[in-house]
Order: sequence, then structure tokens, then C-alpha cells
Amino acid sequence: MGQAAAAPEIELSGISMSYGSGGADVLAIDRISLNINKGEFVSLLGPSGCGKTTLLRLIADLLQPTDGTLKVAGASPREARLAQKYGIVFQNPVLYDWRKVRYNVTLPLELMGVGKAKREERAEELLALVGLAAFADKYPWQLSGGMQQRVAIARALSMEPEILLMDEPFSALDEFGRERLNEELLSVWSKVGSTVVFVTHSIPEAVFLSDRVFVLSPHPGRLSAVVDIPLPRPRTSEMRNDPAFFGLIAHIRDSFEGV
Amino acid sequence: MKGQRALRQGRLLPTVVWAAALLAVWEIISWVLLDVAKTPLAQSKLPYIHELAGTFGEYGGTLWREGRATFGNAGIGFVIGAVAGALLALIMSMSKWIEQLAFPYAVASQMIPILGLAPILYGIVRDEQISRVLIAGYITFFPVSLNMLRGLRSVHPSALELMAIHAAKPWTVYWKLRLPASLPGLFSGLKIAAPLAVTGAILVELMGAQHGIGVIMLRNLYYGPSHVYMFWSTVIVGALLGILSYCLISLCERLLTPWQPEFRRKGGDR
Repeated sequence: MGQAAAAPEIELSGISMSYGSGGADVLAIDRISLNINKGEFVSLLGPSGCGKTTLLRLIADLLQPTDGTLKVAGASPREARLAQKYGIVFQNPVLYDWRKVRYNVTLPLELMGVGKAKREERAEELLALVGLAAFADKYPWQLSGGMQQRVAIARALSMEPEILLMDEPFSALDEFGRERLNEELLSVWSKVGSTVVFVTHSIPEAVFLSDRVFVLSPHPGRLSAVVDIPLPRPRTSEMRNDPAFFGLIAHIRDSFEGV
Repeated sequence: MKGQRALRQGRLLPTVVWAAALLAVWEIISWVLLDVAKTPLAQSKLPYIHELAGTFGEYGGTLWREGRATFGNAGIGFVIGAVAGALLALIMSMSKWIEQLAFPYAVASQMIPILGLAPILYGIVRDEQISRVLIAGYITFFPVSLNMLRGLRSVHPSALELMAIHAAKPWTVYWKLRLPASLPGLFSGLKIAAPLAVTGAILVELMGAQHGIGVIMLRNLYYGPSHVYMFWSTVIVGALLGILSYCLISLCERLLTPWQPEFRRKGGDR
């Protein structure tokens, strides 16, 4: 999708990041360079300590790199953030307890200054897309964990972000819930078409979702491989039994062996 | 709804039984002290319930009038103290520097005994109404400020990052995130402060006011054993005012923050 676009949407060159101050700096990310194209679905895959979440937070302008340059749509991450180009889904749903489901979904639109009628219309649409239309007037705690994470996805997509950042969004779910939400995410994404940066430590999840997988190795975080996923879209649950799917999983697992 | 009503009925009966049993035990102990053990001043230690009820019937008007004076002033002071406490918490949450500057003084202010402060204040303002209001506000201020500050700080880092990602302005972060998140803290502060404000107002009245439940409490204490039932009645009214203030705050809390964990119905409907 969109690989032919002229300039990459997100451009990292020589990004390094170290935590702490003084002599005891811990290098979390070591000179990573990569490009992500507009409309592309990419995963940052690796074991804990590989800096994948840090990388996502650098793109989101929640952290600043200690070295290297990062460009988002030709501008700095800060400018992209202030231009409200981002949507985000965290590991936890992070819903606001005092807002009903409907108003959790409209939150980003409120922050963008979208009118009330338009906001509520969007919330209806998005909640229908994630199969929660009947729960719009419930409070978050009345929903199960998987449903809450669906609300978080609806919230992130409500403002049709240019770039959707997802930080291990399904890691708290069981295998069945995760697979179902993977499929739902792809079907919702196909209607919005955002550029997606998806952080995960699950190889099958990364393969199933992505156009490309960036494989990271830990201590310090380095880019160790970039794997194209040529599986056709739309992707269906039957593809999980496809030899090509297993082949890609094996290929990525091999690239870890060398680490 | 049906289940809820059944639950309420299921709770009502034990409550009534308990209250009746408590009153019966009270009455029996009172009788034992007076007629069996023949202790001196037995009725001052634990008066007969039926005598108290009689006093309430006879002097209900007076108790109501004086109680209202106390409660009104305590209420005004409570509101002023709560607003001031909440504002200080807001300012302290915005700046660590101001917190470090103001917090030690807020703590130190709580070290001054009210029993000593009340007459000093009364000596300065020379007005029982204003003194009552000021002391009630003074007592309210600290627990409200402390609990609200904790509430404002309780916001989950990810919830703040969500605001940052969508480029929310600082005041929007307060209005849509920090303030709603601080409400449970604010209400626990208010619930601690409300009965204390009433007690504070009564204390001021003991220093020589003309009106208020504290005034007739003191007067009837001076008159000795002959006024024991009236004295006990004023103590009970004082307690009831404290309970009333607490219940009013709890009601507001329930209406304004129905999303709090303790108000969630068991089981939910997932």
C-alpha cells in the first residue's frame, strides 16, 4: 500500500536514545535508521529491552532522541503532534472513568474542536465498526477488557489520524481475543487508511497485520532486519493456516537466532 | 431495579432491629445505674431515653432554632474553606515551587489548637457569626486541600500522554482530565471536613456567643443536674448536625461522581 509514494511519511536517520544523566547513561536505542511510507502498516517487533516502545514514543514526540533526526511528513514530530496528526492506542485502554463509552470516543474530536453533532455521529460510526454500538451509553468499567480496548481503538480512529501509533495494544488479551481484534483492527484500518506503527513482541501478530516488519534486537536496541510481508489484503483468519504465513514467521524467528 | 429494592428492604429490617435493640440496652443500663446500682448523678451518666424524648418534644423549637444558627454559620464557613482549599490545591498542583512554599504553612496552621485559636479570633473580630464562619472555614481548608491535591496528582501518566498526543492545551488538561480525576479526593476531604466544621462552630459558641447549640449546651451544663436532659439533648443535636452534614456531602458525591468504584453495582452488566 502506497510504497510508491515519493517521500516517506516517517523518516528516522541515525536515531539514538540514552536514558539517565551523568556517567551512568543506558543506551536504549543505537543509531536506528528507517523509513515508513504513507498508508503503510508496519510493526516494530522485538523482545523486551529492544527499545521498540521507546522508538514509538520518539515518533510520538513523548520523548526526544539524544542523537539523530526524525521527520514526520517533512516536519518535526513536535509539529506533527501539534498539528494533531497522531492517534494512539496504549497497552492499557486508558479510558476516562467518568465518561461514558460514547464520550471516550469523542474525546480526541473535542480536543480538535469538532462540533458536537459531528462528534457524536463519528462516535456512533466508530462504535458500530468495532461492534460496540449497543454499549455507547455504558461506563468503561461495565465492559470487559477486550471491549475496553476496542473502545480505545475507536477513540484513536475517531479523528481519522494521519498516523496511528499502537503500543502492544493487545498484549493483555488472551490468544483468541488477540486474533479476533487483529482481524477487526485490519477491517477498521482499511476504511481509514492511516499510516500505522504497531509495536508488538508477537511474531504471528506482526506478520498477520503488517506490510513490513522491523525486527529489533536488544541491549542496545538496534535494527537487525526488515522483512516484507507480501501476503495479499484483505487478510483473513484462514491465512493463519497458509504455509506462506508460517514461512514468514520462521524467517523472522531465524533473524532472531543470529542476535 | 427490582433487585435493588429487595436489597434495600433486606437492609432495612436489620437496621430497625439494631436501632431498637440499642435503645433498649440504653434504657436498661440507665435504669440499672439509677435504681439498681444507685450511682450518684446516674441520669447525667446515661439519661432515660423516654425523658430525652420528652425534652425534645417540649423544647424542640429552641433546639431547632439554635441548631439552625450553628449549622448555617458552619455551612457558610465550610463552603468558604472548601473553595479556598480546592483553589490552593489547584495552584499547588500547577507548581512544585508553590507547593514547597505553601505546604509547610498549611501543615503548621493545623498545629494551632482550635481551643486556643477560637478565643483569640473572637477577641479580634468581636462577632460571633463571623468567628463561627472563620473557624469552620479554617478547619475545612486543610483536609480539602490535601485530599484534592492528591486527587489532582493521581492521574495516570498514560491518561496525560493521551492529552499530549492530541495537543491539548494546559487548561483543557485540567478541565477534561485533572479536575474530574480529583473529584473522589475532593469528596473524601469534604466528608472529613463537614462534621469537623460543625464541631468547630460549636466550640466557638462555647466562648461566649448569644446563639447556637453550643450556647444552650454550655448554659445547661452550668445549671447542673436539673438540666441534664436538656444538656444531653444539645449534645445529641450537635451529633445529628454532624451526621446531617456528612450525609449531605455523600449525597452530592453520589450525584456528581456516579462512576466511582464504590457506587458500581455488583456484577455490572457486561
